[in-house]
Amino acid sequence: MPTPFLVCDDAPLRASLTAWLEKGGLAPSTALTLVVQVGDPPPLDADDRPVFHQPDVLIRSGPPHGTLTLSWERAPALAEIAPGTQTARVTLSRLAVARLQECTCTFFMAVLIFLLRRAGWHHVHAGTAIDPAGRGWLIAGDSGAGKSTTAALFASHGWQVGTDDATFLAPAGAQVAAVAYRAPIALRPDAQRALGRSGGIPVAGRRKAAYWPEDLGGRWAPKVEPEIVAFTSVGEGPTRAARLGARAALAQLVRWSAWVVLEPDLAQEHLDLLARLARQARSYRVSLGPDLFTDVAGLPDLVR
Amino acid sequence: MTDRYRRHHDLRLAALEDEGVILHLGSRSYFTVSESGVLIFEALATPHSVEELVAVLQARYEVNAEQAEASVRDFLERCRAADLLEIEAGA
Repeated sequence: MPTPFLVCDDAPLRASLTAWLEKGGLAPSTALTLVVQVGDPPPLDADDRPVFHQPDVLIRSGPPHGTLTLSWERAPALAEIAPGTQTARVTLSRLAVARLQECTCTFFMAVLIFLLRRAGWHHVHAGTAIDPAGRGWLIAGDSGAGKSTTAALFASHGWQVGTDDATFLAPAGAQVAAVAYRAPIALRPDAQRALGRSGGIPVAGRRKAAYWPEDLGGRWAPKVEPEIVAFTSVGEGPTRAARLGARAALAQLVRWSAWVVLEPDLAQEHLDLLARLARQARSYRVSLGPDLFTDVAGLPDLVR
Repeated sequence: MTDRYRRHHDLRLAALEDEGVILHLGSRSYFTVSESGVLIFEALATPHSVEELVAVLQARYEVNAEQAEASVRDFLERCRAADLLEIEAGA
């Protein structure tokens, strides 16, 4: 059973969206509903709330009425989530339906992120893995920070890998779990070369090829309880790790969990979850050097 | 005339072993605060005067009134500049 529950009268569209939801592998216990109809989205002219910009998606939230709205910039599409509900109502134009693959990668992904907040799952821009010693890792950072290459390298050395990019933090008893949105690891050509890989799944519109962890010799890890949080960047010298205190780690987690500043009713819950993770894990600022490609085991050694 | 201060209603605070991070939902920005900053911010959930905040600090730390007042005023000024406070002007 995919989550959220999908309601859509357009059979081909429903089939495509169901496949997309199933692929993501997310299953929170809270019942969430995604209602999708095809038509002309209503204009947002009267909504003068500040706009939060994400790639190709514009988000409005907060007072006075509290309804969250997301609109897609590439073709008319609008999602609304009313306060106190676990339902996202989406109106897709025919133009948006014609570009559904793009639309799922950006617009629907953002809708899913906000819907999952209603289940207490909060997004962080990070990858996840479990090392051979069984320790859970969260690898946070911007595009270009080495998350995908590191995830692929880990998988190539038999680590379990959850995701290279999209993670949801969720309460797990006294702990915080990092739940992976399942998607193949997308690598740039230089990363493919460095890893000695060819082929892969072409990523539409981007000069990247993608690999499932299993294709690289690893296994998929749907959920991780992070013991180590690494805030990565790519450096020229040898790989280095510097320990961060909990306050600095929390500030970094806030940085990579941008949605935390939206929706006043959910912001404290989101912030508290980040704070719990900052307490739970040992955090490091990690500069990833070229030596990582020949000595993956050196990285766990740096954070012992 | 005694002004009273409270934290901005758009703020959210997470404390970590007495340090903390403050989110400002209005400006969509965040700030890190020290142990004493967390203490003052927790007090500022309700309106407090400078004198009352000085008492809050002195109840936790061994610090004289002059040092405590200087710390409170400096902290409030930095918070005011970052739009983290609501100020009720004294009558």
